[in-house]
Amino acid sequence: MNPKALVRDPFSVIVTGVGGQGNVLASRLLGDMLAAKGYFVTIGETFGASQRGGSVMSHIRISSKSAWSPQIPRGKADVIVSLEPVEAVRVLREYGNPGVVLLSNTRPIYPVGVIRGELEYPSLDALREAVARILPGARFIDGTEQAIALGNAILTNIVMLGALNRLAVLPFEREDFRQAVGRRVASKQVPVNLMAFDKGYGLAG
Amino acid sequence: MNHFGSGELETAVIQSELCIGCGACVRLCPYFDSYRGKTALLFPCAVEKGRCFAYCPKIEVDLDAITRFLHGKPYDGNPLGHHRGIFIARAGEKVRKQSFQAGGTVTALMVYAFRSGNIRGAVLTNRKGLLPEPRFVTRSADVYRASLSKYTAAPTLSALNEALDKGHGNLGVVGTPCQVTAVSQMRMNPMDKPGFKDPTALVVGLFCTWALDFRRFETFLAGEVPLEKIVKIDIPPPPAQVLEVYLEDGKREFPLDRIRPLVPDTCGYCPDMTAEFADVSVGVLEGRGDRNTLIVRTERGERIAREAEEKGFLVLEEMPRENLEHLQWAAGNKKKRGFLRSREAGKVNGEPGKTLFRLAPECLDGVFQDR
Amino acid sequence: MSFLIDEGRNIQHLLMGNEAIVRGALEAGVNVAAGYPGTPSSEIIETLSKVARDRNLYVEWSTNEKVAVEVAAAASFAGLRSLCVMKQNGVNVASDFLLHLASSGTRGGMVLVTCDDPGALSSVNEGESRLFAQILEIPLLEPGDFQEAKDIIPWAFALSEKIRNVVMVRSVTRLSHGSGNVRFGSLPGTSAQAEFVCHGPLLDPETGPIISMILAAPELQHGPQQEKLKKAAGIFETCPFNTYQGPDEPELLIVTASICSLYSREAVRILGLEDRVGILKLAATWPLPERLVKKHLAAAKRILFVEEVVPTLEDHVKVIAAEAAGEIGAKTFYGKKSGHLPSVGELNPDLVLDALARIFPAAAGTRPAASPGGVTDIPQRFTPARGMTFCPGCPHRASYWSIHNALALDGRGGFVCGDIGCYVMGTLPAGFSTVKTLHCMGSGSGVASGFGKLRSFGMDQPVVAVCGDSTFFHAAMPALANAIHQRSPFTMILLDNRGTAMTGFQPHPGSPTNVLGDEAPALDMEKICRSMGAKVEISDPFDLVKTREKLNRLLEYGEGAKVLILRQACALSPEKRGQRKYEVSVDAERCRGENCGCSRLCTRIFGCPGLVWDREKEVSRIDEMICAGCGVCADICPAGAIVRKEVAR
Repeated sequence: MNPKALVRDPFSVIVTGVGGQGNVLASRLLGDMLAAKGYFVTIGETFGASQRGGSVMSHIRISSKSAWSPQIPRGKADVIVSLEPVEAVRVLREYGNPGVVLLSNTRPIYPVGVIRGELEYPSLDALREAVARILPGARFIDGTEQAIALGNAILTNIVMLGALNRLAVLPFEREDFRQAVGRRVASKQVPVNLMAFDKGYGLAG
Repeated sequence: MNHFGSGELETAVIQSELCIGCGACVRLCPYFDSYRGKTALLFPCAVEKGRCFAYCPKIEVDLDAITRFLHGKPYDGNPLGHHRGIFIARAGEKVRKQSFQAGGTVTALMVYAFRSGNIRGAVLTNRKGLLPEPRFVTRSADVYRASLSKYTAAPTLSALNEALDKGHGNLGVVGTPCQVTAVSQMRMNPMDKPGFKDPTALVVGLFCTWALDFRRFETFLAGEVPLEKIVKIDIPPPPAQVLEVYLEDGKREFPLDRIRPLVPDTCGYCPDMTAEFADVSVGVLEGRGDRNTLIVRTERGERIAREAEEKGFLVLEEMPRENLEHLQWAAGNKKKRGFLRSREAGKVNGEPGKTLFRLAPECLDGVFQDR
Repeated sequence: MSFLIDEGRNIQHLLMGNEAIVRGALEAGVNVAAGYPGTPSSEIIETLSKVARDRNLYVEWSTNEKVAVEVAAAASFAGLRSLCVMKQNGVNVASDFLLHLASSGTRGGMVLVTCDDPGALSSVNEGESRLFAQILEIPLLEPGDFQEAKDIIPWAFALSEKIRNVVMVRSVTRLSHGSGNVRFGSLPGTSAQAEFVCHGPLLDPETGPIISMILAAPELQHGPQQEKLKKAAGIFETCPFNTYQGPDEPELLIVTASICSLYSREAVRILGLEDRVGILKLAATWPLPERLVKKHLAAAKRILFVEEVVPTLEDHVKVIAAEAAGEIGAKTFYGKKSGHLPSVGELNPDLVLDALARIFPAAAGTRPAASPGGVTDIPQRFTPARGMTFCPGCPHRASYWSIHNALALDGRGGFVCGDIGCYVMGTLPAGFSTVKTLHCMGSGSGVASGFGKLRSFGMDQPVVAVCGDSTFFHAAMPALANAIHQRSPFTMILLDNRGTAMTGFQPHPGSPTNVLGDEAPALDMEKICRSMGAKVEISDPFDLVKTREKLNRLLEYGEGAKVLILRQACALSPEKRGQRKYEVSVDAERCRGENCGCSRLCTRIFGCPGLVWDREKEVSRIDEMICAGCGVCADICPAGAIVRKEVAR
């Protein structure tokens, strides 16, 4: 299978969030969809500490030619999908550039330092403004609200994948998602995941 | 007034081994707690001026301010504190004759105060094994259980804080001089809480030359007697110089010279033998194991004592002059020693937040001159 | 059925490195696999267990790594192929037996997979397992990408059988936990017959006993062992996983291995140095294939070593270069020792870029801007740091709360000796900074046993050790036995959260099921401790008052070792996940907030992520998305403002 040429090769995507938000599943689904299309996909991720309130990040490299480093060099991300707004900025500062496509959820998860009162969590408006200065086209959507409406905040990751699909920066379709999710989750969970995907697609319109 | 928070309290009192474990800072908040006679700060609190500091009897005790609050005049250094009368006292026939110590005057006053409706609750100290246990009671019958002397420092005031937290008022409190000092500082509403009302109706002070450190005392006794067989502990009035431990099957006596090392260092700074900031103070009567000395200090103390006498709960007699003189001599000695020690440590009118006492310098001079 | 036992040759799947290793083992026809959980290695045994029935495998989570190697060795002795898996720290535990095994040799192919964690992303240290290959005198292989992670395993089994010794394969976190495309090979049949042939002559490697005992005649065993290593070195000269990419006479030769080869490739490409820099990616890294290395050294004057943790490639290649200096000429070396690459932490493409840019200053201009479009100008206040903490509903937070308070109330300066598990966070504010020593598995109790004996030197501080349920069986039991026998007065707190929680709930000898989910005899820790002679108490850590009281009593109780079992399942355990016991809410009217009498105890000190401090309203509230519903915060609230209501089932 010869995959379509990419705008950049390797094409680098970062899925970020906080441990427990379903970051790994989102990156695996993306990887599965793209590998099924014949791309070389390399995913770099860490877990272990990830369930313990820390920032988590999956680096996804997509290439029509070869496997790439599971760590993206600084400033080299093409797409950033974030399940949490502060994490979007954290990744943007390290891996972003003016050409990056940024899609972030708006629901904050407070770091323990903020809960303790040692640190301050920024206001969402100020955060969006700071990001917009570099990326006027950055998208912030309330994915968690949609997920909760579907019955479980954990579906936020899938809502974000649906929204990513709408932005049309990666070569995958709803049908690819349906097949991929069918391999990763229990079959009775597939319909609600598809609903979440569609909600996300709608949000990013 | 110099007010600080829990951090300064921990440094200046707990870590400096000035803490007697009175319990004034316990149950105000989740940060201080007491275990086996010792008070500990569990976590740092971020409040800059706390009640813990304001109530503590071992830091920034403004003797003038307290005396003005209670009696409308400055602290004058009188060895027995401000008083309206001094009597020989014992429980009257209305009080159940049971195992109270000495004359039973404290029990008599508290039972009467309950029965007459002067108080609706009382903060006392029970004993669980050797361990003193703070108790909040609401019935006169419960007073009897607390009627034995403890001799060890106790976090009694934690029970007061707990009762106040639950909204109780019109309380009777029985405590040692340091505890009574803490209570008087609570009554002054140091944090200027709006709508504050003095929650106490009768504060009974206990004479005290020193208390024993519970942990040291327990370790000492554990090496001498079977702890579980202890029934009662007594220090009979002078000239006896012993601590008596009554066991189920007999009695052991320990010379006070062996007991004194078990006294915490902080007692050496204390200038108050007779609980000067109480409504009434009660202690032993020299040479008479079945009578007490009663010092009546405030208007409400006098009223309740007189009523108790009229209703047959209390029997009062004149205090002979020689007894009075000796009491003054003993109390004056403790006052001199305490202030001297405190002054040597720089803890009289010293650095804000590290000073034990504040009082007029000329009054302090007066204490040191024999009057 | 798992796609990992897909028969189809040449089909491709996106596999995690650890899954690739599993597929490799299956293609090699592995029969027995054993290991002890540890990030980043755990998925290997776990994944194998899922196909164990289909592939006629015996798979186990062993009590510890040493036992795991012993179990795997038995299979090899009986002629089967066996795999043994652990993280780098586990090799330390297994090393005693491994040294003897390397001496006695093996029969059926035996591969030891170690997963190192450069950067200590999920470890207490950056331990290095490659050095063990040298000490043990066994061959070492390091796959460089996901395909190789699969392909190298059957090759390693074949090597093991050729030299009749155990072969070590080392992965790292970024490979084990990364994912990439892997093209499958074919699977062999599943029939296997085990027999330990051992009644032949003492020194007969085919039929004799398998023993590791030299008795003043090292030539009988140590000699043959070294011959095996020499043979491996010979085979390594043509190892298909050693590759070279670049010009025939590069201006710079990068010598690298493992995942670092991908970082090197990316950095070379970004700087446009493909025609000037060659990359020698070695998979056979001990003993080095000397002829191959020498050939590449001869072609370049400058050498850059790109490897993580201890510079072992660097050291070994330099030895070859020194020995061949007359033949190949003097070289200039760059690497950790020259300071071109950091000596600690994991590497990444940027660090290799930095090194290359120093060596090729003119090429540095093609580096991406340090802050493209000013992204790093976004003020840091928009990215408050995320400190590590216990999960919402974690029993450890409650346990440490009580331990901390009991020690503070006790007032004798008591402290906690820590151990390995999520509860290492007892060293942090998450665990109220209660833990004061922390080392390896089981060492908390051993160190505590030692502290307990210092009373005769005037040390009267109470000594407490914490230990997880899996850790108890792994390495803490000998420490407890020691403490009991020596009458060391310490208090062991068993944080029994019902499984090897940190690595993903693997069963241990105290679990009622084994790795396959079959019923298994569960060893009773309480009975074990009692029968060993310890005074034992049990408490539910969510009952803060009772737990604190019990612990204080144990601390007072003078003689001998005491055990307090704090039993409450991990909040992420299968039995609890997604189940809230309580609906928790805050009564804003009663919340004392920052005032005297509270000072935000729940958010400022207790610090559960399920609690949030509302700065505007100056009250605490519950983040319902995060709260796990354990209800413990209701018990710490001094004002009764945190209210919990049991969830109806």
